[in-house]
Amino acid sequence: MASKKEFDIVWGMVIDLDKCTGCGACMVACQAENNVPVTKDATNKLRSLTWLLVYELSNGKPFPDHDVAYLPRPCQQCGNPACVPVCPATVTKKDEEGGIVSQVYPRCFGCRYCMASCPYHVRYFNWFDPVWPEGMEKTLSPDVSVRPRGVVEKCTFCHHRWMHAKDKARVEGRDPYALEQMEYQTACTEACPNGAIHFGDLKNPEHTVHELSKSKYAFRLLERLGMDPQIYYLSRREWVRRLGDNYLDDEKTGDFKVVGGHGHG
Amino acid sequence: MGIDRRDVIKFIVGGAVGSTLTPIPWKLTDDISIWTQNWPWIPTNIGGKNEYTPTVSKLCPSNSGMLLRTVSGRPVRPQGDPDSPLSGGKISSLAAAEAQMLYSPSRVRRPLRKTSDGTYKAVSWAEAEAILSEKLGNATGGVGVISGDENGSMNEVLSALAAGFGSDDCHFMPGSAQAEAVAYNQLMGGEGQPAYDFEKADYVLAIGADVLESWGPVVATRRAYADMRPHGEDPKSTWVYAGAFQTNTAAGADRFVAMRPGAQVALALGVANLLIKEGASATGLSGFASLAAQYTPEKVAEVAGVSPDALQEIAKGLASAQKPLVVVGAEGNEGGSTAAAIAGIACNMLLGSFKAVPYPRTVVQGAMGRGDMLAKDVASYVAGFKGGKAPEVLITYQANPVYALPGSIKTKEAFENVSFKVCFTTYLSETALASDLILPVPHSLEMVDDVATPYGYGKALYAVARPLVPTLVDAKHPGDFLLGLGAKLGKDLGFASYQKVLEAKARAMGANWADVSRGTVYVSDSQASTYGVRVDADAVAKAAAVVEVADLTLCPVMKLNFGTANCGIPPFNLNTIRGDELDSDYLYAHLNASTAKSKGVAQGDVVRISSAAGTVMAKVNIFEGVMDGVVAIPKNFGHTAFDEFTRGKGDNVSALFAVASEPGTQASVWTGQAVELKRA
Amino acid sequence: MEAHKQSQVKAEAGSRNPIVGALPFFFGLALSLAMGWWVFPDSLFSKEPQPINFSHKVHIENVGMECSSCHYFREDGSFNGFPTTQECAECHMEAMDWSKDEVAFVRDYVELDREVDWKVYQYQPDNVFFTHAAHSMDNCGMCHDITEAELCSYGGCHPNMAETDKAPPVKTNRITGYSKDTMKMWQCEKCHTLPEHYEMTGSAKGQACFSCHK
Repeated sequence: MASKKEFDIVWGMVIDLDKCTGCGACMVACQAENNVPVTKDATNKLRSLTWLLVYELSNGKPFPDHDVAYLPRPCQQCGNPACVPVCPATVTKKDEEGGIVSQVYPRCFGCRYCMASCPYHVRYFNWFDPVWPEGMEKTLSPDVSVRPRGVVEKCTFCHHRWMHAKDKARVEGRDPYALEQMEYQTACTEACPNGAIHFGDLKNPEHTVHELSKSKYAFRLLERLGMDPQIYYLSRREWVRRLGDNYLDDEKTGDFKVVGGHGHG
Repeated sequence: MGIDRRDVIKFIVGGAVGSTLTPIPWKLTDDISIWTQNWPWIPTNIGGKNEYTPTVSKLCPSNSGMLLRTVSGRPVRPQGDPDSPLSGGKISSLAAAEAQMLYSPSRVRRPLRKTSDGTYKAVSWAEAEAILSEKLGNATGGVGVISGDENGSMNEVLSALAAGFGSDDCHFMPGSAQAEAVAYNQLMGGEGQPAYDFEKADYVLAIGADVLESWGPVVATRRAYADMRPHGEDPKSTWVYAGAFQTNTAAGADRFVAMRPGAQVALALGVANLLIKEGASATGLSGFASLAAQYTPEKVAEVAGVSPDALQEIAKGLASAQKPLVVVGAEGNEGGSTAAAIAGIACNMLLGSFKAVPYPRTVVQGAMGRGDMLAKDVASYVAGFKGGKAPEVLITYQANPVYALPGSIKTKEAFENVSFKVCFTTYLSETALASDLILPVPHSLEMVDDVATPYGYGKALYAVARPLVPTLVDAKHPGDFLLGLGAKLGKDLGFASYQKVLEAKARAMGANWADVSRGTVYVSDSQASTYGVRVDADAVAKAAAVVEVADLTLCPVMKLNFGTANCGIPPFNLNTIRGDELDSDYLYAHLNASTAKSKGVAQGDVVRISSAAGTVMAKVNIFEGVMDGVVAIPKNFGHTAFDEFTRGKGDNVSALFAVASEPGTQASVWTGQAVELKRA
Repeated sequence: MEAHKQSQVKAEAGSRNPIVGALPFFFGLALSLAMGWWVFPDSLFSKEPQPINFSHKVHIENVGMECSSCHYFREDGSFNGFPTTQECAECHMEAMDWSKDEVAFVRDYVELDREVDWKVYQYQPDNVFFTHAAHSMDNCGMCHDITEAELCSYGGCHPNMAETDKAPPVKTNRITGYSKDTMKMWQCEKCHTLPEHYEMTGSAKGQACFSCHK
């Protein structure tokens, strides 16, 4: 905890789970944007790569009182990432302005300690060489390097889009660290037909995520672990919020003190 | 002085010591480590200039508007087009994979002809044309058309060509639009296409229609949904989904109301009854009020399984809304009741929210209008093949009837009665493999095509899909090919090229070709008159009178991320399929715990589900979002054609569909299917 | 017998001059040093000429063009790298001074509408995101009093091409496939780790991995 870094910009997401219908557009956009390879048997979730994975949530009640919700789970970009201190090769760091947890593939030798330590299961190991159906590799994006077999990868908040947005600002003579919200959006945010995902600087009052993250409906996943994630979820439904962490029956959401972490902005 | 062993050792040691003082070991170590990071078989980045070009998706039934990103002309991926009313900057899960589908392993790469031993042989386009013109020229027994593209002008070329051979057997694949076209155009005397204006709608009741996933232009619908629901605030609209399964629409809706599959007509009548009681009225509903009056909340509860409280609440919500909307659709988006469509239109008439837009005007001489083509019953047409009513030549266009038509039709066997089948398709589908001639259609990013007023959209609209990349395979534009073929056969359709057809179409829609061909979407406020529209209460009464509550009812589920019958499952979309939707071999059938208990099955059990039409195998997934006595099974699995990403995954639910004729409307219907479930 | 032989060997060895005795060692040492410092560095790289010769000198000195006339930023902030054939053809639709290279360029590329497969001296691998926009005159020129040409060759990023008449061959490492001039990370760090640069690199110590990696 002593090593927790403070940043002037904290990129974060607020995902409205009441609006997400689980269509999967975010997942497909993410794969195409980030050159994530395809698998023939993608039902094997231990072997397929899904930087962004949509989980189905249930209120646990039998029909007809049952309710369903969907939860898109990108990398939580923790303020106190569990993956960083365990990495023996300094592959993954949280040291850049913006607070995105980095992953430098050519340094990774695939020990997968980070995968074991991540409480959100956001990290994926390349068990196989990245292969696309013949010719499909011609559609790969030049913005993201292709990862070989044997390395770990994860969501980067489409970091390359930030780099491009900063470059555009620089060339136009503007301050690259004072971007408007819409100048830098992740592929999933951009794709979501229901507008369930908001993305921006949690510390910038002009970005919608700043206020939204403070909503009374906002919660984070496994908050009391103290990971201090930069992903917030919104739901007007108490049962959805309860699924964000392990609650005792007599406990209410938000009724505990977060260890180590603290809110942004 | 000779050189002895010691001298050699000294020399080697000297060399070794020396080499540590050179870059050799250090540079080699570094270089080898870099070498291990750059295997030649790992694709590398190819940079260049980015461009984003607007077009419209023809791959996805949502007709999502999109910007194709190209890097120095190389297609990378589509993104949403902020300027398109069909996108609002957003994209569907299927359209998001459209550029990747250019390189789908299942693309048809060249014309193929079936040989006498059942294998396929590559032929040239000239040979293909010769074969087809010979077959068409001799087709005294009629020409039939089945199209899988509801919105494009290709249907005009196809139907005009068929008309040249004296045939009006032009059909669409089943969908929600058909029940409504039969209801509105044939039975209610209405003109044009019912239109659903979701924008600013503050109360939406979706009766079976999966409006946020598979019904209509969903990306546009979802934009309307999202706009009324700002984050972290109370929503400004109420969405209610009535259905037997908690679909994606149910997940987004404020309220899920359990309703038995196929009970749409009862629920719509129940809603109408309460609205009329509240004082709502509309012209053209004579006789309807007395029919609706029979559908008291108690009766609806008995027939549809909808709780009386929920029904009262819905009616109250609709009656007090500023801009309410009722949308009726079938589970799985096909085979729905025509009577239910009538009742749904009646509800909207009572609410003052019914409107229609004109069908796109035809521009090709002799072409069938969309309304006429929608009114054609493809299920009974194909079923008739076995009764001696088969056409001599059957043209399928971007359609996969062999896979997707109800199992009771036994389409593959029915097809054997057709002496010559030609399949225009981009992907090697089951229908292609049951055809005598397979003609590759360019991918939707490779050819010019159009979208005219998609079903379910609130306004008349025209958008053009543009050829943005060179055709990767030996495919020809089917429009140009057929126009040329027609001219050679003496059936000149009056257009030299398909683009000329679209130019005429744009004019007919009131759009400027120069604008739409650059990617601008044309939207018009023109509406079709609803004057004189009346409800055939008798027909509805007869249809609604059929009440059979089966022990177990099937609820098919359609999700766009599973792909379509025409394109299979796109490789990129496989990852979106959850582990409780598909196992590597089996698909999951979803039951709630109490239904599973009554059937004596548990989570993961392999079961055999059968109906009068056929059988499918599945594994049981216990999901409490399924109504009692209902089994929900997703569509678009169990393909036997396409590629390794699609083939052999689960089973095809349409095998269970048994076609019935709806009393009163005589339309083919296959919702609310009774099925049996047994442990395998 | 045995003992006698052994003592004889010892006697012979002892009788040798120690410098002469060490000669083979120094031969080996000298040879490997020569190999390691002259032969190896040269043979590790293959040398390939550019597809056609391009004279920067002619364009800058004779025509008065600037680097940014051809190497410019696109509107979206990306750097174009090399001009496209179409851009070259804005002047060279037809040959202008009929030099051998220019005639070949017009004949083989402009007329056939082909792109030149220029070889990049400073090619960086896919995992590196290098932003030219951040290393521009606007940024670096704020503190450093340098010309555009100096900026590009500062810190060893690019060889100073502005005055070359003949494009030098591109040396490619036979093992890694990287260009000999491809900067290594430590070279980038020479500037990035300067405390004065911390703020510009967007990280506390100037060394955030994602400042340069993708």
